Amino acid sequence: MFSGLNITSSALTAQRLRMDVISSNVANIDSTRAEYVNGNWVPYRRKMVVLEPKGEQFSTLLNKAMNKDTVTSGVKVSRIVEDETPYKLVFNPEHPDANENGYVQMPNVDPLKEMVDLISATRSYEANVTVFNASKSMLVKALDIGK
Amino acid sequence: MAINPISLNVGAVSEANQSAVTPYKAQKTFSSFLKDAINQVNDAQIQSDNLTKKMALGENVELHDVMIASQKASITLQATMEVRNKVVEAYQEIMRMQV
Repeated sequence: MFSGLNITSSALTAQRLRMDVISSNVANIDSTRAEYVNGNWVPYRRKMVVLEPKGEQFSTLLNKAMNKDTVTSGVKVSRIVEDETPYKLVFNPEHPDANENGYVQMPNVDPLKEMVDLISATRSYEANVTVFNASKSMLVKALDIGK
Repeated sequence: MAINPISLNVGAVSEANQSAVTPYKAQKTFSSFLKDAINQVNDAQIQSDNLTKKMALGENVELHDVMIASQKASITLQATMEVRNKVVEAYQEIMRMQV
């Protein structure tokens, strides 16, 4: 009865996680000391989520094996990957992490990109809430049958 | 014109009685069915309650999960009320019967 609502719920969870990752990126926009590798500090790398349909559930596979019609059951975040684009070099000789030429490696986070992702995540969340409400009002309407 | 004698097939009737569901059995299956359904509604309420409690205690619960659980509980309860109304209506209809 509630499969539609469960699918929406998974989408909302995925978008929330995406939002959390964006928050992390924006918060660490100036973090030059994320990891300590071989005696050197490495700046923060921008993180991204990888979304995939939740298809490998037991019920879905069973229905498929029994040749029944199935709907894919929602979405999930399969991985959080790091953006491999190079760090930005900024000339700032006073910075504690500046190299001998006065350049500092800054995280590869682009505020504009993050803002666009933020809007995208917010709108997706809103769209899923709209789907949820439509699903719910359909169920409530079904209860009106025979009144 | 030959009139066929009325023959009461006693064996067939008793056989039919044996295979058919007795009123006692039917009532029993219905009551267990109803009980299961009401338990499911109760489970939805309990889950919603637990999630709300967890959120109030500041545990790591997603807000939309709490809202969705409460909506599910609300819809199942509404469906239960609808069934109850129908049952009461049917009962009253039968009680109004002229005897």
